Amino acid sequence: MKYCIDPSICLKLLKDKCGTCEEVCPTNAIDYSQTETELTIQAGSVIFAPGFKPFDPSRFDNYQYANYANVVTSMEFERILSATGPTGGHVTTLPKLPAKPKKKADKLLAEKRKDPKKIAWFQCVGSRDINKCDNAYCSSVCCMYAVKEAVIAKEHAGDDLECSIFFMDMRTPGKEFEKYYENAKSSYGINFIRSRVHSVTEDPDSLDLNINYVDEFGQMVSDTYDMIVLSIGLEIPDETREFAKKIGIDISEGGFAKTSSFEPVSTSRDGIHVAGVFNSPKDIPESVLDANAAASAAGDSLSHVRDTLTQVPEKVEEINVVGERPRIGVFICDCGSNIKGVVDCEAVTEYAKSLPYVDFAYESMFACSQDAQDKMVEYIKEKNLNRIVVAACTPKTHEPLFQETLSNSGLNKYLFEMTNIRNHNSWVHKNNPDIATQKAKDLVRMAVAKSALAEPLAEEKINLNDTIMVVGGGIAGLSAAKSLAMQGYETHIIEKKDILGGEARKIYKTAQGESVQDELDKLIDSVITNDNIKVHLNTTLDSVDGFVGNFRSTLTENGQPIELEYGAAVLATGAKGYEPTEYGYGSDDRIMTSLGLDALFVESSEKLDAVKSAVFIQCVGSREPDRPYCSRVCCTHSIDNAIELKERNPETDVYILYRDIRAYGERELLYKKARELGVIFIRYSTDDKPVVQVEKETLTIKVTDHVLGKPLEIEADLLTLASALIPRRDEQLANFFKVPLNDEGFFVEKHAKLGPAEFATDGVYVCGSGHYPKPLNEAVTQGRASASRLLTLLAKKDSLFTSGTIATIDFENCCSCGVCISICPYSAPDFQNEGRFAGKADINPVLCKGCGLCVASCRSGAIHLRGFDTNQILTQIFALDEVV
Amino acid sequence: MSENNVKIVSFLCNWCSYGAADLAGVSRLEYPADIRVIRIPCSGRMSPKFILSALREGADAVWVSG
Repeated sequence: MKYCIDPSICLKLLKDKCGTCEEVCPTNAIDYSQTETELTIQAGSVIFAPGFKPFDPSRFDNYQYANYANVVTSMEFERILSATGPTGGHVTTLPKLPAKPKKKADKLLAEKRKDPKKIAWFQCVGSRDINKCDNAYCSSVCCMYAVKEAVIAKEHAGDDLECSIFFMDMRTPGKEFEKYYENAKSSYGINFIRSRVHSVTEDPDSLDLNINYVDEFGQMVSDTYDMIVLSIGLEIPDETREFAKKIGIDISEGGFAKTSSFEPVSTSRDGIHVAGVFNSPKDIPESVLDANAAASAAGDSLSHVRDTLTQVPEKVEEINVVGERPRIGVFICDCGSNIKGVVDCEAVTEYAKSLPYVDFAYESMFACSQDAQDKMVEYIKEKNLNRIVVAACTPKTHEPLFQETLSNSGLNKYLFEMTNIRNHNSWVHKNNPDIATQKAKDLVRMAVAKSALAEPLAEEKINLNDTIMVVGGGIAGLSAAKSLAMQGYETHIIEKKDILGGEARKIYKTAQGESVQDELDKLIDSVITNDNIKVHLNTTLDSVDGFVGNFRSTLTENGQPIELEYGAAVLATGAKGYEPTEYGYGSDDRIMTSLGLDALFVESSEKLDAVKSAVFIQCVGSREPDRPYCSRVCCTHSIDNAIELKERNPETDVYILYRDIRAYGERELLYKKARELGVIFIRYSTDDKPVVQVEKETLTIKVTDHVLGKPLEIEADLLTLASALIPRRDEQLANFFKVPLNDEGFFVEKHAKLGPAEFATDGVYVCGSGHYPKPLNEAVTQGRASASRLLTLLAKKDSLFTSGTIATIDFENCCSCGVCISICPYSAPDFQNEGRFAGKADINPVLCKGCGLCVASCRSGAIHLRGFDTNQILTQIFALDEVV
Repeated sequence: MSENNVKIVSFLCNWCSYGAADLAGVSRLEYPADIRVIRIPCSGRMSPKFILSALREGADAVWVSG
């Protein structure tokens, strides 16, 4: 983040007065001569990710957001919960007032501030609403964030707080979301009230908020809350719509980019790709997947020019310092006033000069600035320094920067040590400058002591085989393989069946109405005709050896063993349809699963002509105690099929029996269309599930109508069970690649939000429904995303190195006990099979993550952790001596 | 160290607790200045001899967090 001057009000620019900012800026960064310039960039692909605008509820007079002090938006509530927010993370009423009001009226008002006892969330504000606004779509994220906000508010306030969420359908179809929702009810006692509140009034004295609503039993309820949070939706602003028009890409009614299910990140204009909420309303992991996928799509068409514009920085020859007496240079950073404002940096610098082996100490205003870095290079050369200590902020963000500076001056980057006198000192002891200065000195002394023992460390080059293995030939795997092959890499698809396509083979249409079979055939055709792709049908995986860049597997293809060497793998093993044991499935051929009905559509079966009354039952096998997740695809699938039945024969009576309709995003429009076509939606609860009676002639479904509260009997000649998608729970595959499965058997990705298409194990990636159930377009997106992540690995082919701070074994001292081998979570140590030290353990530097578990557990003291060796930690403890 | 003269040596895991201590700073929390942090790559690196050494050097408490 950088500041810039607003030329429309700057006195210096307008009247040539003031100029204060130039005077006070410590780094001379102010340049009044800069003006707006127009840049022209020649690009081969464009990724358009303009994001969204939170819906502004001011225009709703019934919720009085603009006038009532205790009505806030969900975005504002996020800030209220945040430790860095306006209330320091403390939930109070009147949050819009300043924490310490200055105006008299505000001060009087602030006296009414209290810790709320009751907070209500109103869902679908600015979403699923064509009455008070034009947003017919579902914003997809609000249910989950409301549940999260309520849970966090309860965690802050404890039992004193009552949280209620007013909703229409609870839409938590994301990975692990359903469990979170159930937990919010059972463990946190959050109330979920199925009702849309009409309006809010304010008590003029207490500023409490009164609401009236109709509950699920049709009763009018009056209640009072201290605070109301409006769960506002996501909206595409007019500027974005206009810009989209200008660059010639088609948008939907809701303002979202039009994309197809098989190219879900590519717009109607060739070469322009799209990511994020502008593509469709979505949460963080899906946005990350979109971004990855857009990068893959943009790269596909540019692979032939890859690396043509790359500039390689000149490498400075490394100076050998082994055996030299340490000559330590200490750099103390002021961080502007962040450190200097509390710590006496001058005194710390003087103190540093007095420490053993310190040849030079220097104070700089911003050690990380470019000129300070250049100076550091000069001093290293001029003073012939061979170890560097920087006392500044945190090494977690700044160590790589300083290490690069060391490399630029010819020093090995591991001759660097950093100590944290800002985050761990000046910021947390700002009221005790003397103590903070003393602590800074101690920290510098400890760092200097450690630095004196630093040795140059080598990073080993990892040889990377750029052949890729994709396990699974479904939509996700095919999409990943296609992108990888288009970018020039040899890709092997391993499919256990004798045909490509996976579960998509059984699907009739996508939510957007595309024919799955036609599109799938095109995709398969493009895969099998690509010279870079080798398809292995009827093939199983028997073993996996090796690690990132160097995997080796034995496969059985058509009964014959084959060997495959590859550098990375994509696991795209998918999920399968659950075969129901409930609702009479299997006892009558009029009862089928959603895929069974799709099969009838695909073959245009005559059976369909006879259907006069069709019933769908949702959540069959999903959202149940032994399968506590939502299968994500079934609501839309049933609605789609209901519409298909209605369109084939408008006279057909169609009923969908559901728990919550989870038609997220613009799928909501399908839900609306189905209702308009006369599809009847009846909600059932888990303690009163529909009952299916199979008799010779008739198929009767009994259900309690949720509006009337009366039992209904529906005679049907078609009953579709929207059965769950269940993971393959391939424990052998998970063990082969050392990747985890969750309780339900889905693969666990590296990071739920930020690493959704890769595993924590380097070189192994995930996509498709094996990760979590997902519709076709999302499977393609994740397929592309995994390819994109994999490509970032392959792009480093010539510059992939291990870390220097890893464990090494002193073979002479190793007693071959094997503790390191059994304790290492990354399988890095192993016994040597041959040579002088056969039988002794050795550590594979590529697999070692440098955690030090083996070092601490080695009974012989034979293992050393470079950079954090025992003597380096002990010397810091000994350096404490003067402190303690 | 500070007036009450408590001496705490803390070993913080680089990936979690060290980052948390960074965050405490970013959040401008305040705490007594009696601790000295030694960054370790993982709490798995922790060895009993570090704890014993710290106590022998006169620490009142050793805090391992990871």
